[in-house]
Amino acid sequence: MKGKRYILILLLLAGIYSTCKKPYNPKIVDSPNHYLVVEGVINNGSDSTIIKLSRTVKISGTVSTSGVDNCAVSVEAEGGAAYSLTPRGSGTYVIPALNLDASKKYRLHIITGDSKEYASDYVVVKKTQPIDSIGFNIKNNNVQIYVNTHDAANSTRYYRWSYDETWRFHSRYQSAYMVDQVLKAVVFRPVSESSYYCFAGSKSSTIVIGSSAKLSQDVIYQQPVTTIASTSEKIETRYSILLKQYALTKEAYQFWENMKKNTEQLGSIFDAQPSQLTGNIHNLKDLAEPVIGYISVTNIQSKRVFIDNADLPRDWAPTYPYDCGPLDTALFFNPKTKQNDVLGIIINGNSIPVLDITEKMNVIGYTYSSIECTDCRIRGRVQTPSFWIER
Amino acid sequence: MKKIYFLSFCFLILIKLCQAQQGPVKSISVNFQQATIEQFVTELEAKSGFHFFYDAMQFDSLKVTMQATNKPIETILSQAFKNTGFSFAITKQQQVFLTKGREIQTGLAVGYFGITTANATAANMSVSLANADLDKDKKIPEATTENKLYEIGIKTNTIEAGTATLSGYVKEAKSGESVTGASIYVTNTKTGVATDQFGYFTIKLPKGRQVLSVRGIGMRDTRRQIMLYSDGKIIIEMQEQVTSLKEVKISAEKVANVRNVQLGVNRLDIKSIKQVPTVFGEADILRVVLTLPGVQSVGEATTGFNVRGGSADQNLILMNDATIYNPSHFFGFFSSFNPDIVKDIELYKSSIPERFGGRLSSVLDVTNREGNKKKFTGSAGIGLITSRLNVEGPIIKNKTSFSFGGRTTYSDWLLKLLPDAYKHSSASFYDLNLDISHQIDDKNNLYLTSYISKDKFRLNSDTAYSYSNRNINLKWKHNFNNKLFSVITAGIDKYQYDVSSAGNPVNAYKLNFDINQSNFKTDFTYYLNRKNTVDFGLSSIYYKLHPGNFQPLGAQSLVAPDVIATQQALESALYLGDKFDVTDDLSISGGVRYSIYNFLGPQTVYNYAPNLPKTSANLLDSTYYASGKFIKTYSGPEIRLSARYQLGDNLSIKGGYNTLRQYIHLLSNTTAISPTDVWQLSDPNIKPQYGDQVSLGLYHNLKSNTIETSVEVYYKRLRDYLDYKSGANLVLNHHIETDVVGTQGKAYGVEFLVKKATGKANGWISYTYSRTFLRQNDPNAGDLINGGAYYPANFDKPHAFNFISNYRFSHRFSVSLNLTYSTGRPITLPIAKYEYGGSERVFYSDRNQYRIPDYFRSDFSMNIEGNHKVHQLTHNSFTIGVYNLTGRQNAYSTFFTEQGGAINGYKLSIFAKPIPFINYNIRF
Repeated sequence: MKGKRYILILLLLAGIYSTCKKPYNPKIVDSPNHYLVVEGVINNGSDSTIIKLSRTVKISGTVSTSGVDNCAVSVEAEGGAAYSLTPRGSGTYVIPALNLDASKKYRLHIITGDSKEYASDYVVVKKTQPIDSIGFNIKNNNVQIYVNTHDAANSTRYYRWSYDETWRFHSRYQSAYMVDQVLKAVVFRPVSESSYYCFAGSKSSTIVIGSSAKLSQDVIYQQPVTTIASTSEKIETRYSILLKQYALTKEAYQFWENMKKNTEQLGSIFDAQPSQLTGNIHNLKDLAEPVIGYISVTNIQSKRVFIDNADLPRDWAPTYPYDCGPLDTALFFNPKTKQNDVLGIIINGNSIPVLDITEKMNVIGYTYSSIECTDCRIRGRVQTPSFWIER
Repeated sequence: MKKIYFLSFCFLILIKLCQAQQGPVKSISVNFQQATIEQFVTELEAKSGFHFFYDAMQFDSLKVTMQATNKPIETILSQAFKNTGFSFAITKQQQVFLTKGREIQTGLAVGYFGITTANATAANMSVSLANADLDKDKKIPEATTENKLYEIGIKTNTIEAGTATLSGYVKEAKSGESVTGASIYVTNTKTGVATDQFGYFTIKLPKGRQVLSVRGIGMRDTRRQIMLYSDGKIIIEMQEQVTSLKEVKISAEKVANVRNVQLGVNRLDIKSIKQVPTVFGEADILRVVLTLPGVQSVGEATTGFNVRGGSADQNLILMNDATIYNPSHFFGFFSSFNPDIVKDIELYKSSIPERFGGRLSSVLDVTNREGNKKKFTGSAGIGLITSRLNVEGPIIKNKTSFSFGGRTTYSDWLLKLLPDAYKHSSASFYDLNLDISHQIDDKNNLYLTSYISKDKFRLNSDTAYSYSNRNINLKWKHNFNNKLFSVITAGIDKYQYDVSSAGNPVNAYKLNFDINQSNFKTDFTYYLNRKNTVDFGLSSIYYKLHPGNFQPLGAQSLVAPDVIATQQALESALYLGDKFDVTDDLSISGGVRYSIYNFLGPQTVYNYAPNLPKTSANLLDSTYYASGKFIKTYSGPEIRLSARYQLGDNLSIKGGYNTLRQYIHLLSNTTAISPTDVWQLSDPNIKPQYGDQVSLGLYHNLKSNTIETSVEVYYKRLRDYLDYKSGANLVLNHHIETDVVGTQGKAYGVEFLVKKATGKANGWISYTYSRTFLRQNDPNAGDLINGGAYYPANFDKPHAFNFISNYRFSHRFSVSLNLTYSTGRPITLPIAKYEYGGSERVFYSDRNQYRIPDYFRSDFSMNIEGNHKVHQLTHNSFTIGVYNLTGRQNAYSTFFTEQGGAINGYKLSIFAKPIPFINYNIRF
């Protein structure tokens, strides 16, 4: 009942009735536990199988989760072959394209550095159908990206998606100059130092799942994948999404749905209560030990699309993440203070020259701004990714 | 009539003036032929020397023809008035009063001068010639005055020993409405009785002179003097309490609290409910119920309530005997009951009368007012979000009346003020009540109750929700005689919801759920003798439940229709109970309700491998049962036992033991009841719930019954209460038994209540210490929550304190203050975090191992009434107040959620600031 939460928010917005959401960090929650977390898909396609092992950490800890190394990880066929994964550090274990027998069941087997033995249940190889198309809708000043897919054999039914986003953005001001610290002078900015256009990216952080189990045909139509606000820098110039599609078994779907409910859809008392998360990985000696994760076997299908700013409403404007204000002026000779502001503010200060100020063909100073407002490289990379296709 | 009173009054003065004259009885001879009253009186006055007083108008049709020789005047008068309907009375002062229909008491009220009953009767030579058998008489005396002695039954010269049954009806003088729960207390014998929901009562009394003291909620205390000769009837009119300066209200519980056999019963009238400030200013019955000891809720804006550790679906909510499945409007911000329609409520937490059954925890019995039988009246109220209108009046004067109430919301304006993103949202509700009561004759009454409510909301998402309650029932009350009466009720109750979504043409759907029940029940009460009151009856409910109908919406929709088979069942019960007054001090109420539940075909029932978890893997096969076939029958006795021992005039101790069965379950995996939760009938795979409770209480009234105090302790067990498995799917589940698991519960607590119902300052203070634990210990359930150990229920709030007060400065101005404190409810908190699916995520502890911060709230309101001139077109009143005066940010819920890849804990408060409200009411 997500709706309920909205109505509370509605009342809040009305200004008469006030709802309030405040940070809450109870101190009781500090039990030391280090449960094994197993993430990854046994890839039956042409790509590598990548498994990441980590452990849970204290909730109050600032340390984010780190990988578990020194494990022997392998993919095992039921009553047959085993394929060892190669450790890559930071808890990552990899094996190149596996050619698995779709009629067999496979499991992931792990022996940790402290000789504990874990294994997933044997799971069937589920075939993932290709993504039909990726599109977007404009909805309430948002771009909602959706996916369409189908399975003519009506046998997939449960789907999960993850995605990598890449976008090109620019800094607030385009700087034509830079400081040469050797020369102690303002010089033209060379192409190699260009700092206006950059690329940035991110990976999906929410669980996107969908099911056609209630439909008469195995069709996923306009399944929302992600939403981008009209003010986002992501769609400032050009945006790209690489969507990966995974077929799930019903049990795997339930696992992901449960994880989503437990960690993304809580808050109102009309939401379901948090429930125990049961994956398909167990300590073979101690079935009661919680192990987090669900192993599926499938070929991963992916598709990339681009969204250009020109395809979006013209009145949309991005919100720059920093407060920049108008450009300031630094003169070689400030008539009021009699100071050389170019030297003081730009060359010896940290400000970035943007454009020159000329008087009677002579440069008498520069406009300048902060690095946040002129240099996109603090938030991205200038280099164009290999997959990037211009319009 | 007035003349008689006047004469009586004059006489009382005269009697003082001429007490000395008293001569020997004189014999006279007369001979009348068609004599008028003047001739008759003149002759008798001349011959006897007696003085006659009468109203010539009343006697203008009388013609006397008689002959008598040397007879005393009494004999002559008796002969003359025989079979005429006229009466006479002779005083010691040789005065004769002639009256029509009713005789005058020539003595002062018995006991006035300390004369005993026997002496007084003997001293007054009064003989009634009118037919004194009032039971047979068409006209039952309307006992309207306190100072008059009413004679009941067939009059005899001497009072026989033994007892007689007095039955009667208490009504409000102005509107003619019955007064429910009025207590009739007999001072001599220290016995008492309360009127039933229709205003009727029956009591066994020793014959002779008795004083009935009558008290009713919101009524002025009154008393009636009766001379009980034999079984008979009486109608008592009570005046509404207007003088609110000294006495705000007189509670019927005054005596009942200590003397009743029942434990754990709270009764509130609408007047005290209306004094309690609520968030939007409109009186809310369920909010007030939540302030009673032993009643909890999971959160602020939820209407579901939990009684003594029971879940919200274990409350039987009745409105004039119609079952209300969803008692809330607008996400629980309002309750379904229109405060202008309701007369009073009664909450049974422990001693649930035999006539109720079907739910484990409590019965909330909401009684609507009967319409005014004498004139048209009405009221209207305007609040910030809702408005309401109520009209009532006679259809046939003094016989048939109606009461109509309607409420609606105009909350959409609120939504229109919101930013664009919410512009397309809407939420609204309405409810309508129409009640008709009809008096066929003295022995037969009909009552029609009908109710409809509808809630609709559409949020900016494309999903629209609506739900609706619909109820109608007809009640026939029949008095066989003084000792036996019956109520026969037949009705239909329906609850339905639908959800539809049209945003995505391919996934567009409509989902319906509904539950229909047809009820029939008969309740009999038999006053066996002075010591025993027997209740018996039977009831039957036929359920037809559509657990889910999922259909495509629109031509493009690919949604596959999914219909869960209709469930039908019959729940019947037979009950017998006796309230036995063993001695004056000891009363026992014992009863048995035998309930039988049949799950009926047509239905396909899944069979699971025995002694294995009910999962789809262990599903063996299914059996089809044809229509009307008894698929599974559950039955068993339910025991209702309670006893009271009087330790003193104002002190009693009570104990009780109860067992109950529940055959219908609400499937919910949310913390609070949501309107789209699904009900489920017991079937071969889902056992009925069973509960029992033992309770003990001490009751003491102080300061001449103005302060009531009580302490009650209870211990309760629940069995086969349904909980869900982790990640259960409860909607459109064809084999729900694979996703739910039977749960055991235990609850115990102690409840303290101090209540002052009268005076300028009134209200109550309650404190409850209670615990509720649940446990899944079904070995065949598969994964068990918390490994099968006990865990606190969602509504387990050990300490709860409520202070509800009202202070009346004048007739027109009063203030109310509420204070509420409780321990925070249990929650499941994360104990570890990890990264998965591109984000930090949390790992949860065992269920309900931690608590949200404690809850505290204070509310304040002022009630201002317009002037109290009786003869004006309308009466106005205002309620102005502030909800959550201190602005404390009580946690409604706490949650940990991923935002931008990191886990953050949040506390959500709904009413985080003081919230002012205003409500304007008008009466006409």
